[in-house]
Amino acid sequence: MATMDVAVAPRLRRRARTSGTRRRLPLPSKIAAAVIALLLLAAVFAPLLTSQSPTVGVLGDRLLAPGSSGHLLGTDGQGRDIFTRLVYGARPSLLTGMIPVAVAGLIGTAFGLIAGLGKPLLHSSVMRFLDVFYAFPAVLLAIAIAAALGSGSSNAIIALSVILIPPIARVSEAETGRLRNADFMEAARASGSSWSALAFRQVLPNIAPAVVVYCTALIGLSIVYSAGLSYLGLGIAPPTAEWGLMISDLQQYMFTTPSLLIAPALAIVVASVAFNVLGDGLGNYLNVRSEIA
Amino acid sequence: MKRGMLLTDNRPVTSGGTSPAVPDQPSPQTSGRGTLMVRELSTTFRSSGREIRAVRSVSFEVHPGRTLVLLGESGSGKSVTARALMRLHGPRAVIQGDVTLGEVDLLGVDDATMRGIRGARVALVPQDPSAALDPLRRVGGQITEVLRLHDVVPDKAAARTRAIELLGQVGIPDPERAFRSYPHELSGGMRQRVVIAMGISCDPEVIIADEPTTALDVTVQAQILDLFAELQRRLDTALLMVTHDVGVAADIADEVAVMYAGSIVETGPAREVLERPRHPYTQALLAAIPTPDVARGELVAIAGSPPMAGEDFPGCAFAGRCPFVQDSCRTSPPPLVVVESGHLAACPVINPVTATTPVVGPSTESTR
Amino acid sequence: MISFLLRRLLAAVPILIGVSIVVFITIKIIPGDPVASLLGPTSTPEARAALESRLGLDQPLPVQYLQWVWHLLQGDLGTSISKQTQVLGLVLDAFWNTLILTAFAAILAFAMGIALGAVAALRRGKAVAALGNAIALISISLPQYSVGLLLIIYIATGTGLLPTAGMYDAIGGGGWGDLFRHIILPGVTAALVPAGIIARMFRTTVIDVMSMDFIDALRARGMSERRILLHAFHNTTPTLLTIAGLQLGYLLGGVVFVETVFSWPGIGLLVFQSIAQRDLPVIQAGVIVSALAFVVINLVVDALHATIDPRMRAHS
Repeated sequence: MATMDVAVAPRLRRRARTSGTRRRLPLPSKIAAAVIALLLLAAVFAPLLTSQSPTVGVLGDRLLAPGSSGHLLGTDGQGRDIFTRLVYGARPSLLTGMIPVAVAGLIGTAFGLIAGLGKPLLHSSVMRFLDVFYAFPAVLLAIAIAAALGSGSSNAIIALSVILIPPIARVSEAETGRLRNADFMEAARASGSSWSALAFRQVLPNIAPAVVVYCTALIGLSIVYSAGLSYLGLGIAPPTAEWGLMISDLQQYMFTTPSLLIAPALAIVVASVAFNVLGDGLGNYLNVRSEIA
Repeated sequence: MKRGMLLTDNRPVTSGGTSPAVPDQPSPQTSGRGTLMVRELSTTFRSSGREIRAVRSVSFEVHPGRTLVLLGESGSGKSVTARALMRLHGPRAVIQGDVTLGEVDLLGVDDATMRGIRGARVALVPQDPSAALDPLRRVGGQITEVLRLHDVVPDKAAARTRAIELLGQVGIPDPERAFRSYPHELSGGMRQRVVIAMGISCDPEVIIADEPTTALDVTVQAQILDLFAELQRRLDTALLMVTHDVGVAADIADEVAVMYAGSIVETGPAREVLERPRHPYTQALLAAIPTPDVARGELVAIAGSPPMAGEDFPGCAFAGRCPFVQDSCRTSPPPLVVVESGHLAACPVINPVTATTPVVGPSTESTR
Repeated sequence: MISFLLRRLLAAVPILIGVSIVVFITIKIIPGDPVASLLGPTSTPEARAALESRLGLDQPLPVQYLQWVWHLLQGDLGTSISKQTQVLGLVLDAFWNTLILTAFAAILAFAMGIALGAVAALRRGKAVAALGNAIALISISLPQYSVGLLLIIYIATGTGLLPTAGMYDAIGGGGWGDLFRHIILPGVTAALVPAGIIARMFRTTVIDVMSMDFIDALRARGMSERRILLHAFHNTTPTLLTIAGLQLGYLLGGVVFVETVFSWPGIGLLVFQSIAQRDLPVIQAGVIVSALAFVVINLVVDALHATIDPRMRAHS
């Protein structure tokens, strides 16, 4: 009985503290959440928002400036409507940003749990293994992996997942380490909890807020990187509409029709800022520190 | 800083007494060393619209060569009092009352003057010696910095000599080596000695020690207390020690002031107060201390808990936990009653007010 | 101190071995049969087997790895497929240019980040601090290719004051002044994200240090707020160094986008050009050299850290 009480205490305490201090999600984070919702809706309902084709253009309408009739944001070198491509591009751009974080989130958290709860030898071998990845400038490693695997969105996702695992694992390990000697862990161990029960029932719920906050902010970074890989020619292949691809495509008209570049360039900025602001607000809300390093 | 306001006194003067709150102490000496006089000091914290009255009109004096121990449990306002004396209370606190050292009005002087007084005329020895030192700098440099800051030495070489001398004075075996050491290379007791050396470095008139032994091992605690006693005798310093430890008070105090919920509930000569406590709280506090001659099971914990921070009470703060409580205790604040010469207790219930034991209360005008 | 450095050097060895294994793996995960692609679809099985054994590809993987490392240690990073020259020379020339850009961006990033972070920490609760926090958060989120292109459009071509690309003017270029004109925009672009991260970390550090007991003890000893601030900043340096180590690595990686946008002749641009030509040896060499530089930078940072913080020398 007593063990039970101790074992459930931390979660209750966290809830009590957050309600007690009247923490609220700050306004900028609410706006960011709304922006993200709009972007996701656009991604899902792209065909309803525009009647034009994202991949086949009208050759007579090449390089129209923003504001031309029927082409709010202008057209590209193949006469494709930029607004249409932007809306359709939301789906792959957001997905290739979010999927790596989800994959790396699962694997990284697992690494962190194993390292954090394991014996010293296991702990240090996992951490040294992660250190190796920290020795690489992350973007370069992603490029090397993606380049080796060849272009394509799934390869970009694999490359990004690899570089996102170590930082997430570190956060998860650090949070787990903080709990390792907590009273309720001792109690659970003393009452004969198995390793998996300890990890999933005791530790995971307690480290989840920190990991989720960190991952939310990482989505912004991941969107920037995935669009960046496409920009470098390593992500999704043309003629698919994708933001990074649009930038590299429109870049050739930078000195003749520079205004065409603004929409896709800002789309990535908006998505990235929105996730970072949301992550920051969530961090304050759940009272966990998060820092992208 | 807000001061000079009309003080809202929660201890009304019930007789025409004009004697000071702590009478019959050795009168201030004329050796140039001033007495620290505290009159109706209040500290109020303002946080998110709420007012928390941490210190409620406390008065006391510390004389050169004497030791006053402010005794109280955590949250009683004793540390806040100590810090307010040096105006280290932070921007969210408002102080009222009077604090004077000799002729200097500590709450009235400008910030630059106050900086010149801190460390030089009034020194603070903080609670945790490990945290009070800059971890990145050698001990010696930190001491000489204070010496140079207050211009007590003419040059760098003299500062060094003096610092090593000080380290020797506080009983550090190899002062030369300690001078070159980083804080983490010294033991907790040695670090506290270093902090004390810094405290006495400018020959202060008053040393305020805030739980200086709490973070130390019991054996080291006794050594540090001895050191305080010895230094104080030698340097003729007024010592104000803040502690929750009755044992420390018994060890070192000349006078004791017991604080509860921001007020001084009992004050007087240490032996008097600790052996014949005349306030229900002090009595309960002393009964709660394990001593070898108290049989197991006789130890009495005080039922209930002190008022919450920010909670307001019109009467006695201890009323909710007091075995002698009467209706009047809950409605009006208890006056300090003179129990014996120099021994005052804020409880008119167990110290009936008679003609021979007049009630005194600090009167704003007369004690200025 | 010397033993501390030796220990750190020794600790770097397994990291370097790990790095080499990871890069070796990126070579091995290349889909398809390298021999078949070298010889073309019409080659005979005998010819393929011959080439395979000449390249050592018939050996077990660990042997292949050791052979590869052996070449690596001799400075043989392979031959560029597109340029048909030794990769090492290509990469080292480019690396020097990348280092110049990185150093400039690092100085900018630290200046901006420390200023922003200090304001946000020391004016906590005021509007200017909120503004500083917002700027830091936004700058963290900025994609360098977007920012770079917008800067070219609006600053370089918009005002005509600064060049749009390259390191020196093609005609009549050269010299420090020319380099400076060319480095400003890519430098700013590369510095923005690290500046934001530094600002956020520095803010936290300053707040932590300012709430340490010894700061209060300094006040109690009669020190002025300005002097206390100096002591506080001194105590932020260990953390600043840690941040520096991380951010220099970020800068080294992030220059791919910046160099591509601004045609800065560094490793990033080299890597970008190699992607289109599937010149994998160049990409791998770029990664190896950057990782090596990163490890060296972290060693230097550790050494500096130890000179500043006596506790570092005692620990580990």
